[in-house]
Amino acid sequence: MPAPIIETEGLAKHFPRFWSRRVVRAVDGISLAVQPGVAFGLLGPNGSGKTTFVKLLLASVHPTAGWARLFGRDCWEPEARRSVGYLPENHRFPTYNTGFQMLEFYAALSGMPQMERHRRAKELLELVGLAEWHDVRIGKYSKGMLQRLGLAQAMMHRPALLILDEPSDGVDPVGRRHIRDILGALRREGTTIFLNSHLLSEVELFCDEVAIISRGRVALSGPLADMTAGSGYRLRAEGVSEAARERLREKATTVAANNGFIDFQFADRESANQAIDLLREAGSQIESVARVRSTLEDVFVKTVEQAGEKP
Amino acid sequence: MYALVRDTFRESLARKIFWGFLGCSTALILFFLLALNIDLVEGAMAAVTLFGKEVDGGQLVNVQLIVHKILGVVAAFLFTAGLFLAVFASAGLIPTVFEPGRIELLLSKPVSRPRLLLGRYFGTLAVIACNMFYLVLGVWAVLGVKTHIWNLNFLLAAVLAVFAFAVLLTVVLLVAVLSSSGVLATMVAYFFLIMSVPLAQHAQLAPLFRRPWAREVVKWLYYVFPKIYDLGNMARLAMEGKGFQTWMPVWSSGVFAMVMLTAGLWFFARKDY
Repeated sequence: MPAPIIETEGLAKHFPRFWSRRVVRAVDGISLAVQPGVAFGLLGPNGSGKTTFVKLLLASVHPTAGWARLFGRDCWEPEARRSVGYLPENHRFPTYNTGFQMLEFYAALSGMPQMERHRRAKELLELVGLAEWHDVRIGKYSKGMLQRLGLAQAMMHRPALLILDEPSDGVDPVGRRHIRDILGALRREGTTIFLNSHLLSEVELFCDEVAIISRGRVALSGPLADMTAGSGYRLRAEGVSEAARERLREKATTVAANNGFIDFQFADRESANQAIDLLREAGSQIESVARVRSTLEDVFVKTVEQAGEKP
Repeated sequence: MYALVRDTFRESLARKIFWGFLGCSTALILFFLLALNIDLVEGAMAAVTLFGKEVDGGQLVNVQLIVHKILGVVAAFLFTAGLFLAVFASAGLIPTVFEPGRIELLLSKPVSRPRLLLGRYFGTLAVIACNMFYLVLGVWAVLGVKTHIWNLNFLLAAVLAVFAFAVLLTVVLLVAVLSSSGVLATMVAYFFLIMSVPLAQHAQLAPLFRRPWAREVVKWLYYVFPKIYDLGNMARLAMEGKGFQTWMPVWSSGVFAMVMLTAGLWFFARKDY
């Protein structure tokens, strides 16, 4: 197994409140590993510690305990951040720059040679649909345009790891799709993407692995497919007698009438097969049998509620 | 580092700070170019007119003296209004870096924190130094052409003024790191600038205090605080062609600046954003 690109162990950030002598545990011992080439989604309710976790990774905030590594190096070493592209949440790019100048400046800080910076800036402005705005001061850009420019900024030096904090915040649906397409292309090229978002549909569409954090701790983590897989089987039948319905009610997790059909949901395959046998014997018509997957929203809400937090 | 310095320049241009300074300096240079007329008579003597009116009742005056006076005015401008304006204009350039949403992105780059802060410091210093040198070289060239007297010591005044600003800027930097407030940073820098005037008279000031410890405090404050007033005095002496009695104001202000700068970098390295 290759070495993780992001690795944290017991990472914690506590903010002491001097007046009330309380301690706010923004991040409370997070251990995570993100493998190369993975699209990783970090989820959590507002105030669960997502952004503080990202700031810990990028050396904006000092940890109270634990450690974080990027590319196997301590994240406090500047060199560890050389191949990281970052789009912060609520970014405030200097408005005196034009789009081109802004890309050029941040790429220079990443150590990119001048000639390459110029070429790459033009290429990316084209990619994010801002080529015509390249010489306009970014104070005149809309929120969605700034977000796209921010994404271009993060991609400038062709980083192996992209950390995106709410990348589609303020972007219209078309722009959101565009951003997803760009990120999809990067993913196919092998870029590791760490997505911090509260948009579950975005994470569900895009990520391979997910961690749900609540109250500064990892409440659930793993491959997205495993999290949402196998929550049960749905069986739809017609002409179900009252007696058969009553018998199946004991086995089914839910029973609902729907446009002349009866929908049963069963927790496992065995129960579903027994129900099919029973319905066939009772002369009912089976319309469909389908495996039902949980949505990420179901998993998220359940996880957060179990952790004792309001989603 | 170059990218950070260039970015500071770009911000000063966008905020019109650079242009404002350039305008003031150009106005002063044009004033000497257009309003002052010096007719050289017999080499060292000259008739001087200002806005067409004769100075000193039309009498011939010593050119060297006139040049010293004018250069003295410019040096006084640099060390008073010039420094006030410079601190006022530049104090906003450092705290803007700490704005939420901007600092996180800068810190995510493969650049160490001291380097980030020093880049901003030297960028701000470069903006002001360019303007100070422009003013000094401009006035120097105008007077040189009009009087044929090329007083190289005047250039030393510019170096000292930039040095004085560099010292005050370390105060701005430290306060900005601690408070992220440009206004507070300006106030504290002004405090040191203003305090340098009475403290320079510490020999006369200390005996006014009745208690011995208060006299000691005045003396110590003089040695610890930056000596902006004394640096201005050194510039004046340089222009008059007189040597310095001591370099103490330079090195002690330098030590003060180093302490401020080190403290600023230390706090910046340990702060959470």
